Amino acid sequence: MTEARLPQEIRPALDNGVPCLMVTCSADGTPNATVISQVHYVDDTRVALSFQFFSKTIKNVRENPRAWAGVMDVVGQVDWLLDLEFERSETEGPIFDAMDMQIEAIASATGMSGVFKLRAADIYRVLSVGKRPF
Amino acid sequence: MADPEGPAAQIARQAAELQILQRVASEVNATLDLEEIYDIALATMGELFAAHHAVILLLEPDGQTLRVVASRGYENQAAGGRVRVGIGAVGIVAQKRRMLQLGNLGQQRAYASAQRRQMMKAGRDSEVGDVVPVPGLPNAESQIAIPLLIRDELVGVFSIESPVRQAFDAHDRSLVTIVANQIASAIRNAQLYDERRRAADALQAANASLEARVAERTAALQRELRIAEDLLQQARSRVDGPLLGESAAVRTLRDAVAHEAIYRWPLLLTGPPGSGKEAVAHALHLGSGRKGAFIFVSCPELQTQNRYVPGAPARAADRSLISKFELALGGTLFLDAVHELSIEHQGELRGILERHSGDVRVVASTPVDVRTIGWLAPLFNGRAIAVPALRQRREDIPVLVDHYVRKYGRQLGKQVEGVSPESLQRLEAYAWPGNIRELTAVLERAILVAKGPVIEIDEESLDNQLSVGSYRLISQLGSGGMGEVWLAKHRLLARPAAVKLIRKETPPGAAREQLVRRFQREAQVTARLRSPHTVQLYDFGVNDSGAFYYVMELLQGLDLQRIVNNFGPLLPERVITLLRQACRSLAEAHEHGLVHRDIKPANLFVGRLGTEYDYLKVLDFGIVKEQPGRGGHDAAGSTLLTSPDLVQGTPAFMAPELVFGEHPIDGRTDLYSLACAAYWALTGQLVFKASTPAQMLLHHAQTQPALPSAVSELPIPGDLETLLMQCLEKDPAKRPASALALDARLARIRSSDPWTQDRARGWWDAHAPDVVAQTTTS
Repeated sequence: MTEARLPQEIRPALDNGVPCLMVTCSADGTPNATVISQVHYVDDTRVALSFQFFSKTIKNVRENPRAWAGVMDVVGQVDWLLDLEFERSETEGPIFDAMDMQIEAIASATGMSGVFKLRAADIYRVLSVGKRPF
Repeated sequence: MADPEGPAAQIARQAAELQILQRVASEVNATLDLEEIYDIALATMGELFAAHHAVILLLEPDGQTLRVVASRGYENQAAGGRVRVGIGAVGIVAQKRRMLQLGNLGQQRAYASAQRRQMMKAGRDSEVGDVVPVPGLPNAESQIAIPLLIRDELVGVFSIESPVRQAFDAHDRSLVTIVANQIASAIRNAQLYDERRRAADALQAANASLEARVAERTAALQRELRIAEDLLQQARSRVDGPLLGESAAVRTLRDAVAHEAIYRWPLLLTGPPGSGKEAVAHALHLGSGRKGAFIFVSCPELQTQNRYVPGAPARAADRSLISKFELALGGTLFLDAVHELSIEHQGELRGILERHSGDVRVVASTPVDVRTIGWLAPLFNGRAIAVPALRQRREDIPVLVDHYVRKYGRQLGKQVEGVSPESLQRLEAYAWPGNIRELTAVLERAILVAKGPVIEIDEESLDNQLSVGSYRLISQLGSGGMGEVWLAKHRLLARPAAVKLIRKETPPGAAREQLVRRFQREAQVTARLRSPHTVQLYDFGVNDSGAFYYVMELLQGLDLQRIVNNFGPLLPERVITLLRQACRSLAEAHEHGLVHRDIKPANLFVGRLGTEYDYLKVLDFGIVKEQPGRGGHDAAGSTLLTSPDLVQGTPAFMAPELVFGEHPIDGRTDLYSLACAAYWALTGQLVFKASTPAQMLLHHAQTQPALPSAVSELPIPGDLETLLMQCLEKDPAKRPASALALDARLARIRSSDPWTQDRARGWWDAHAPDVVAQTTTS
């Protein structure tokens, strides 16, 4: 499987709390689209997606590791389109903590702690990166 | 933020940053002042990240709250704002103790808020909590919050914010981390220093408080010690004072005390009044090593307790000698003025000494010549210590003066060194008729009025000490519950006299003035009496200390109480002779409308007048009461000694009407009392026996007395007995009509062996020759 590198200009679209679209597909080929709250920059070949309350998505990923995510740079008015492959899921460690702190920092002050609860940080390898203006 | 810049600019920027960081490290480590540390940290942020905002929050002692202690760049970010641990970016950083960097806060806040609104709109209110305001920049987009940690211990949070998205990069994070580490360490050092300084201050305050308490307690203990020392000194001086000195007389006295202290037999102390007999008794007690108490009994007061005092509880045990004896078990019973003991108490004492010899050391004192008290000498088997008069030990006066000056100086709080040499000479030359008691009174008064450390005592103050009116007091003849009787001499005429001092505690004011006026009136009335059988009143007045005094003729002899106490009942013919003289005195008084009201053996004085023996004088006419309508003076008023707060009479000799007021008081009241005195003289017993004054008074009112012949060992003529029983009638109308009538009836009683002057002289020569010796004290 090929591997793509994330460009620097994608960073404003990551870790910004703006929900993004995520699409997965079950083993029998049934697609599922959902919105996730955070795409976290891990390194220039990986991102971490927050696993919060999407049981269908995680079921699909466990059956079929391929996924697709679209993140927005609202200021730059650019959509970034990422082909991803599930690598592992972390419920502790630096990546999980960093994502959890970011979510909790906002959620705690807005009364959303009970809603924005990070259950796991799913690490995906970036297979390809594309972009298109709004 | 990583702006595009060339390598040279980048190197220059990094060099500048390095300089700043070095300076920060140097400055924050050079101070222990927290405010200064905050200023340095915030100023550094300004230099590193121009136009950005920085805040320092410290963890409160509760561990749950962060408090803003310093900030920079905020419009409304005053120090003192608080945020809970776990809330907002700084709260999460404090909770997780890890750095947090945020770059798109605006979008995140907007999304969270939108989600919140949607959920609430969808009726999912219960799933969302309250919005919590967090100190910080309202429109912040970027934030780096770093925990201030010292060895994993959270001190606070350091946070910088920017309204620009993604304003901080990894380099900025490193810079902030370096600064945060520096200030965390500096803050902790300053906090520790502050804590130690506070602890030191608290310790110092505690020490100061402790020192103050210790000083206060020490002062209190010193005061208690001084009081204890004073008490000890007083106790010692009570014993030691009169025995101080090196004269032969006092050395002999001390030797005698040391010799006698170890024995248990009864001991008599003789010596003039005020010579220190009580102190000698104390010394005997201390020297004996006996563990029991030293019990002081004033025999005259024991007698006085027999008197009827309105309102005073009558307790038989109070009057009992045996009750005092029981208190003194294993110790010493001191009977002061033992010669004043009544026959009843004499018997009690005799029984005590016979049955309980050794249980209690009985020590008695008397200023009277023992030879004149027949019953006393046998009880003590001649064992006696003579306490010398002060004039017999003049060489001790300087030592005594020194001792008492220090004692009274201490007691009165005066800084005194001693008496002047001239004063000491005067004291040594003075006769001291009042002995050590007079010396102590002189010194106490002199110290009280002293204006300097050296005490001056002039001749006048010595004279004033013991003088009333124109009379100088020579020596005390006796004392009792009412006051003292002194041998006195007129200053100019040198005429001897007896002075009776009556102590009556009355505060100054109208009541006292009224009392003085009444006293004067009574004395004036008494002075009108001319009967040779009435004691003559020479003078009267009130002395400097407020005591009333009468100056009377000096009599040689003994009162009837003492004669019977000492020598037993009298022969009937002698009693008749004495009663007739009393009748003549009373007749004149009654003629003037005066009722004596306190006729009793102690007020019938028998002795020698010129060449006549058994000459009787009625004493204490100063307490008579005028009969209504006859004397013309304040007929309804009470007399000096019968005012409500004083003794009204002696129950054993009191007529019923005097107590219960069923009949008017007149001369026949005195005749009843005179008959009681005669009963006593003939039989040595009271008309009635009673254990309390109230019982005695009831007997007088209701009980028929026993015939004197029934209780007497001596034969009593029937007509005398009949006459006395008539005088003892409850109804005054059944008594002889007057004193003269009684005198006439007495005169008609024939005796086979009349009482003659020869017999009287023989009696006095045999029993009390010194008392009626021709030469009187000069």
